[in-house]
Amino acid sequence: MKTTLSIPTINDYTTADFDVLFKLWNQVNNDNMDVTFEFSQCNFLRHNAVAFLGGLTRLIQTRGGIGRFALNSIPKKVKANMDENGFISTLGFGGAPRTGNSIPYREDSHQSEAVLVDYLKTKWLGRGWVLVSERLRDAIVGKVWEIYANAFEHGKSPIGIFSCGQHYPKHHELKLTVVDFGVGIPSNVRLFFKHDPRAQSLSAASCLKWAFQRGTTTKPNGTSRGMGLDLLKEFVKLNNGKLEIFSHEGYAIIDKTQEVFMNRQTFFEGTLVNITLKCDESYYHFVSETSDEPLF
Amino acid sequence: MKINVYEMIGENCITLEDGQRIFEMIHHELTDGNAVELNFEKVTVVASPFLNAAIGRLLKDIKPDDLNRLLKITNLVPTGLAVLKRVIENSKEYYSNPDVRKAVDEILFEQSESL
Repeated sequence: MKTTLSIPTINDYTTADFDVLFKLWNQVNNDNMDVTFEFSQCNFLRHNAVAFLGGLTRLIQTRGGIGRFALNSIPKKVKANMDENGFISTLGFGGAPRTGNSIPYREDSHQSEAVLVDYLKTKWLGRGWVLVSERLRDAIVGKVWEIYANAFEHGKSPIGIFSCGQHYPKHHELKLTVVDFGVGIPSNVRLFFKHDPRAQSLSAASCLKWAFQRGTTTKPNGTSRGMGLDLLKEFVKLNNGKLEIFSHEGYAIIDKTQEVFMNRQTFFEGTLVNITLKCDESYYHFVSETSDEPLF
Repeated sequence: MKINVYEMIGENCITLEDGQRIFEMIHHELTDGNAVELNFEKVTVVASPFLNAAIGRLLKDIKPDDLNRLLKITNLVPTGLAVLKRVIENSKEYYSNPDVRKAVDEILFEQSESL
């Protein structure tokens, strides 16, 4: 079926902004195999929308459908931003990325850690807009890597991982969205507990909460894992950041003052992580560790 | 046995696969009672998947006292050391308490409490 989907202005201020994206996913999922995205009502497209729309377009294409942008409908300012972060060119709709204040849009079909670490170090953190020492930069990259590691390890996304960042100088904030179109965290948690028939009644919010607990993992046998989300949670709470995760109906928001897990109306099968960090070293605190005492 | 982690893996020690490589090099040495030093000099980025696979997994069949005696970790950046301590803590718990049913009980209990 041929469909035109109108993209409005999309921010990342509230969950309603993300609902717009998840509703688009639901519409595309509903047999729309020839989709044109139209932007005449769009005045701004934040990094979260860029990452998500990129993935959605690839999802349609991977299923053998057609996903295209009505390029003429994109307002000049929005188009300039899409050109700058390489979104338009990466999707094969023409042009080439330019250097500006945007952080490039990325598609990763497999885990290439050296490339991703370089992206986080040089394109995301290392553009002079974040006043951090080399050591803190490396520590932040290690923590943010946990998002990618989780997506690659557990996401089972048939089309890979999509990410885009943005620097917002007014608020001294640096943001990054990482989204996969895989099975979602609740599905992994229920699968892990499959031997218990009650597992199917675990709500998405409960599954997210469990995934954030220390030492939990959905990886069967072998190695203890799953602490990535726990470490990330501690990191944002300690350093005035913010972490939001959407998976199925589950939603988690974590910052210095709150740690909330809830169920919502809108369903998205994959997992979207949106992280906000402060751009100044004075915000950061790290526990100073010494190795004098026995480690084990 | 002394291993220069930077030479083996590089400056980013962050993936399960790289952790597995280190594990395979040191596991037998340690179970045979030989001393191992992992030198992290020049390693800049460290993350939990690597440390879990390389070091956390050792706790599956080697006692903590033996690891304290045999395994020496040197030049790991302080933030990496903090992650390693957490990895060790989690692994100890994971290998001593694989009670899945209890976990479902706990989640369902919390779920009913929050309704």
